[in-house]
Amino acid sequence: MARLRDSLIAVLKKIGWRGLSTLVAIVFSSTLLIPSLTGLYTWLSPFLMLNSVLALKSLVWLNGVGCVILIISFFRKRWFCRYLCPTGLGCDLLSATAWKRGISVQKIPKIGRWLALISLGSALMGFPLLIWLDPMSIFNGFFAVFSDNISIPTLLSLSGLPLLLMLHWFFPNLWCTKLCPLGGLQDELYELKNIPSILKPGRQNNSKTQAEGRRLFLASGIGILSGVILPGWVKTAPAKWLRPPGSVPYGLFNLLCTRCGSCIKACPSQILIHHKGNEDILAWMTPEISFENQGYCQANCNLCSRVCPGGAITLFTTEAKPQLSIGLAEIRNPEDCLLARHTECDRCIAACPYHAIEISPSPVTGLLRPVVNETRCTGCGACAAICPPVIIHIKNTASPGKKAVSTNS
Amino acid sequence: MERRSFLTQLVLTGGALSLGVGCGREIQPGTQKIAADPESPVLGDKKMILEPARQIPVLAETDVLVIGGGPAGAAAAIAASRAGAETYLVERYNHLGGLWTGGLVLPLLSTHAIDRQKKARQVIFGIGGEMSQRLKDLGMSISEVNPVIDPEAGKYVLDEMIRESGVKMLYHTFGSQVIMEGNTLRGVFIESKSGRMAVLAKVVIDCTGDGDIFHWAGEPYDVMKYHIGLVHRLGNIDRIDTGKTGYVKMDVGSPTPLPGVNWVNMHGQDDQDGVDMLNLSRLQMEYRREIWENVQKIRKTPGHEQVFLLDTASQLGVRMSRMVEAEYKLTLEDTMTYRSFDDVIGISGAWTSMLYKGKRVSSQERPLWQIPYRSLLPKKTENLLVAGRCFCFERELAEDTRIIGTCLITGHGAGAAAGLAVKEKQSVRDLDIAKLKQLLLQQKAWLG
Repeated sequence: MARLRDSLIAVLKKIGWRGLSTLVAIVFSSTLLIPSLTGLYTWLSPFLMLNSVLALKSLVWLNGVGCVILIISFFRKRWFCRYLCPTGLGCDLLSATAWKRGISVQKIPKIGRWLALISLGSALMGFPLLIWLDPMSIFNGFFAVFSDNISIPTLLSLSGLPLLLMLHWFFPNLWCTKLCPLGGLQDELYELKNIPSILKPGRQNNSKTQAEGRRLFLASGIGILSGVILPGWVKTAPAKWLRPPGSVPYGLFNLLCTRCGSCIKACPSQILIHHKGNEDILAWMTPEISFENQGYCQANCNLCSRVCPGGAITLFTTEAKPQLSIGLAEIRNPEDCLLARHTECDRCIAACPYHAIEISPSPVTGLLRPVVNETRCTGCGACAAICPPVIIHIKNTASPGKKAVSTNS
Repeated sequence: MERRSFLTQLVLTGGALSLGVGCGREIQPGTQKIAADPESPVLGDKKMILEPARQIPVLAETDVLVIGGGPAGAAAAIAASRAGAETYLVERYNHLGGLWTGGLVLPLLSTHAIDRQKKARQVIFGIGGEMSQRLKDLGMSISEVNPVIDPEAGKYVLDEMIRESGVKMLYHTFGSQVIMEGNTLRGVFIESKSGRMAVLAKVVIDCTGDGDIFHWAGEPYDVMKYHIGLVHRLGNIDRIDTGKTGYVKMDVGSPTPLPGVNWVNMHGQDDQDGVDMLNLSRLQMEYRREIWENVQKIRKTPGHEQVFLLDTASQLGVRMSRMVEAEYKLTLEDTMTYRSFDDVIGISGAWTSMLYKGKRVSSQERPLWQIPYRSLLPKKTENLLVAGRCFCFERELAEDTRIIGTCLITGHGAGAAAGLAVKEKQSVRDLDIAKLKQLLLQQKAWLG
């Protein structure tokens, strides 16, 4: 027994805490395979959590996961980077085997800190600018593309993580120490201890705390300013395509969405895809609902909202689903309805979980066809999926997410 | 310095404040509710009187008693009788085949489905398959997959098969009450022009479609309100003059084996109570008028002058009503995953699309599915089996479980089980499943 313990300790000493944490990180990464936990890493990120919370001015219980890491950051310098960050582990690995040992990045300023503060500043004004730079989003984004078809946006998502890793092969530690906003945020948090001394008037300050204060002031100032100015430039018209239930309004969604692709990966019906329309590049890689694979949004599912770290898809309960609108069912060719030919069919009525379809004769032709109750229909697409002659389609309503926001109050 | 520290403080306080505002963003359901259905008028607050006790003649003490002569009842009676049991079959109308023949729901759905090798294959065999083959031999069915039959030929073939198998047929008779001893079913009271009588039986098979027998026996069940229609047939379809000036294509239904005769299905009103006699009476009159007026409209359309209303069905098309709670509830998942049961009594097919795990499964992709004996076996009542559209399954499955093909399969299974139970002197609950499967195979059923 004692020998076993000794050998265990010996092994632990050999791999060390770093090795153990690598194992933990690998175990955590395997959650990517479980739909309900695929967003776990993104929920851990305090950078995403702060951006989301500051922008939306509200919390959901899943933000607690990020809060824990946030609190740890005050006391242990870059604890998350050191022990949990999967991107960081990969970057370290490549830094260690770098192409030419020694393209030094020592002199490059710590841009990550600036990026973190700018993003948080703009988030405070409701427009988190740099949320997509979070390494957890980039990490998850890489794995999400495998459940989608190839397109420019999916290639962009796919290239994020390899690019970061390659960067380290040429410039060791460049991203992690200098560019990463999540790392920068942790540095800022760790040094927040010095803040009281900055704020105390008349006290002698050293150059380090001065620099700290200047950066805090300037960066958040830039962020806030851009948060005030930019909204005018960003397209806020409602989308012509469909977004997941519980989505925030169009323009805000494009900023809050971290492009982690977790919702796309988690969707059990596989109806979520990376948006790739040409009209609005700002919406690229955000989730779009496509009913082309004959799936539909299931009434007892809220996975997309549970994995969304940025709050672009507001967390909702399955009981709230009847009130969350995606679009509206539309009968395209009523004359092709089986009932118009007196053929036995009740599929759309039976499939609709919200009792939104009734059968009645057309006042013009007298032929039977389904009629959609617009106040009950959520556009979940169950009727469209089941319809034998495929005559039901889901169209976009004027303002997607309108219902979602109104139930918020 | 002062200003900067003030601004820094401002930013930090703003951040902290915004954290505190509006915790709990999660969307919760509101108070939207769908109004409850009104009470059934028949079961309302009625004045009651006491029926005096009286002596009832026992018409017969038999082995097997089948109530209801639809596809399930006919198949059950034939199977039981062929297995060697003395069998009585009670039917309220003047023909066998129920909705399939008199109800004019002429297609025998669903004879085919996809097997494990992803190929479409026939699944309806046994007594149902024999009926189908006989109709085909008479030239009274069209199409190989889901054949459409002629109703009169159907009635004739079923009568012949009943006669050949030696079943004692009771037409114009209604099974009206159960005879119970505790939880054990001993027989059924029947009503006819000859008055109230009793038929005592070792096993009773409830093939009423509405589950009248298990309802009276106090068995737990689910009630599904569904659309109820009334089918009719049109004649002289072959005399429609499409060349006539002013001709407009009208909907005149689908072909039957008879030349110039089409059958016209009706979706009917949704969410209807199929066991409420007042409701059925109302629907019957509304539908007959609707059909009459529609046919007049067709006849007034140029080219359609010779079309006439041949007949309306002898009974309303009640698609679903009571569903028994049996030893096993067949699930949608069972039917989508080739679930095999040790006590399989038959295999049925699929004819329409379904949703499964968030995806469409079209009728051409649907797997064949096994039906276990336990789903015909009520939980509480002894000596009772249930076959036809009121056996035990999930509501999502109703489209496939309520149709003719499945009724023929469950009927055959229940009939064979009842016949075997009598022969082996076992209760239907403790039946030797291996022997049942052997008997079913002898009777040409297909068990996979």
